[in-house]
Amino acid sequence: MIRVDKLCKQFKLSRKQKQEIEGGHAHNTLMAVADVSFTCTPGRIFTLLGPNGAGKTTALRMMATMLKPTSGTITIAGFDTVKEAGQVRGKIGFLTGSTALYERLTPNEIIKYYADLHGMDSDKFKKRKQELFTLLGIDEFADRRIGKLSTGMKQKVSIARTMIHDPEVVIFDEPTVGLDVITARSIIQLIRSCKEQSKTVIFSTHIMGEVSLLSDDLAIIHKGKLLYNDTYEQFFKQLKSRTIEDEFIRIVSSAGGVA
Amino acid sequence: MKRILVIFKKELKDTLRDRRTVMMMVVFPLVLIYLVMSLTFSLSRSQTRKAEEKVITVGLITTGNAGVFREKLAKSKNVVIKEDIAVAKISELIQAKTLDFAVVFEEGFDRKVQEKGSGDVQLYYKASNENSIAKKRIDAVFTEYKKELLNARLAELKLDRAFVEPVKVNINDLSTAKEKIGESIGGLLPYFFILFCFLGAMYPAIDLAAGEKERATIETLLTSPASRLQIVIGKFMVVTLAGIFSALVAILALYMSLRGAKEIPPEMFDALFRIIEYRSIGMLLSLLVPLCVFFAALLLSVSIYARSFKEAQSMVTPLNILVIVPVLIGLFPGIKLTAVTALIPVLNVSLATKEIISGTIQTGLLVEVYVSLFVLAAAGLYFCAQWFKREEVIFRGI
Repeated sequence: MIRVDKLCKQFKLSRKQKQEIEGGHAHNTLMAVADVSFTCTPGRIFTLLGPNGAGKTTALRMMATMLKPTSGTITIAGFDTVKEAGQVRGKIGFLTGSTALYERLTPNEIIKYYADLHGMDSDKFKKRKQELFTLLGIDEFADRRIGKLSTGMKQKVSIARTMIHDPEVVIFDEPTVGLDVITARSIIQLIRSCKEQSKTVIFSTHIMGEVSLLSDDLAIIHKGKLLYNDTYEQFFKQLKSRTIEDEFIRIVSSAGGVA
Repeated sequence: MKRILVIFKKELKDTLRDRRTVMMMVVFPLVLIYLVMSLTFSLSRSQTRKAEEKVITVGLITTGNAGVFREKLAKSKNVVIKEDIAVAKISELIQAKTLDFAVVFEEGFDRKVQEKGSGDVQLYYKASNENSIAKKRIDAVFTEYKKELLNARLAELKLDRAFVEPVKVNINDLSTAKEKIGESIGGLLPYFFILFCFLGAMYPAIDLAAGEKERATIETLLTSPASRLQIVIGKFMVVTLAGIFSALVAILALYMSLRGAKEIPPEMFDALFRIIEYRSIGMLLSLLVPLCVFFAALLLSVSIYARSFKEAQSMVTPLNILVIVPVLIGLFPGIKLTAVTALIPVLNVSLATKEIISGTIQTGLLVEVYVSLFVLAAAGLYFCAQWFKREEVIFRGI
């Protein structure tokens, strides 16, 4: 379970950043996430939809304890992300489309590294690793250095790395960005299998196809503000536009921005 | 603690597999020092031999005087005498390298000497490294000539040599062999190990912090159960170890190049190692550890702030000067380890090394050096850990 309550994140802007935003006339701070609240429940896929720069990554980074909220709280599996950050990190798996793996290590070494960081005991680790490696077909390149692997192979290792400790909560931040169709499909399958295993899943995207394919619950975020938060079924029922893409653009535009 | 060790082991493995880092940590000091030292020795040897064996052309104008000098000069090895020259042409001939030296005896030189006066001689040459070695050969002829003239005068006057030498200074150097070595090698040693300690730590620090940011692997590490402090300590331990290792490799390379140098007889080398005690070596290593800790903290703090490997490199490179300058100051004569210099980082290690090898280190000052280094290392580590916790530092450029 993820519970986000009145979450805010404000960043101080450097002179250069100010210059980039509104030609230097911007304020000294930027509200990346403003008063956002929602709940993600186990066994359902929660989609955070928003255009680039909407605040999705910032919100997910706060959930993953990488960033601290300016105000508001996040509770993951019963633990507060600020006060009990260590416990939260033990419960989550985090996968993004932009993260990479250590090029000079092998899949075996990387998976062992993260398992050790999670304090997994040897037997549990061996069993879990074998399950994942068989499922993803990693065995055949398990001892080759990451630098020598294809993008698809790397993504499989990333999935194994994310799931090795069998996390209760899985956070996917635009996980298919920059991936080819086949690799992207393996990520979609992973998200679905997480749901089947009754894990709490939150994933962010700006790709409409993924929204209709995966979402149980949907939140639309734009300029840090939550514009919509309900089930996907409800969203689909209440469509005022022809397609979900048009509806998304309509919601974002009515909030004072164009996607 | 277990997580720190997990991070340490992984980072160490990753670092040792990075060809660039290994080059900088092991191959660079080993090959560079060995090559530089061997080349320096062999160049200086060949230059000296060349200068000694060089045939020098000496223009000699005696106007019928100083026949004995002429004979002595003519007997000297590799000397060609040219006598058909005019005084007015000397400068031109030396500039044109037709002559290397010109010796001009004044008119009436012999008469003045016979009358127990001083005869003037002008020596012309262009001072350069090569000529200064060759000049020693001319000086030797003059010394012998002067000695002969003086002895003849003393014999004629039936005087003892003590007559012209009323004060005979006998030099008694009470410095021990150990102190002499401390002054010479003691100054050279810190230059190598401090510099390579810094250089050896530089690449791992850049790779493990800025490199991790650039390769976008830091996000997943930050979402693991390891705390920021555990991550920074794990990385920091590898950087420190790399610095220590590199410094030791530099010392090994220095040892090998000195051992291979023909200028240093083996028996002298053995004597040198008998003089340097294990205790001194232990003390030197104990200075190296806090110094590396400080360097690692400094380099890691700068590196984690950088957005990319390249930016980290450009930020770290000027820090080299901060390391080299105090080491060079330590080589200046007259700069000693005092209550004040013992507090200045890097300089204190440089000066303490000399004193440790000489065996003249005062316990109080050594304690001050240790305290200064440990305080600085602890402050560096604390700063690095705090710095690593700051979002604007970690996520700068991500």
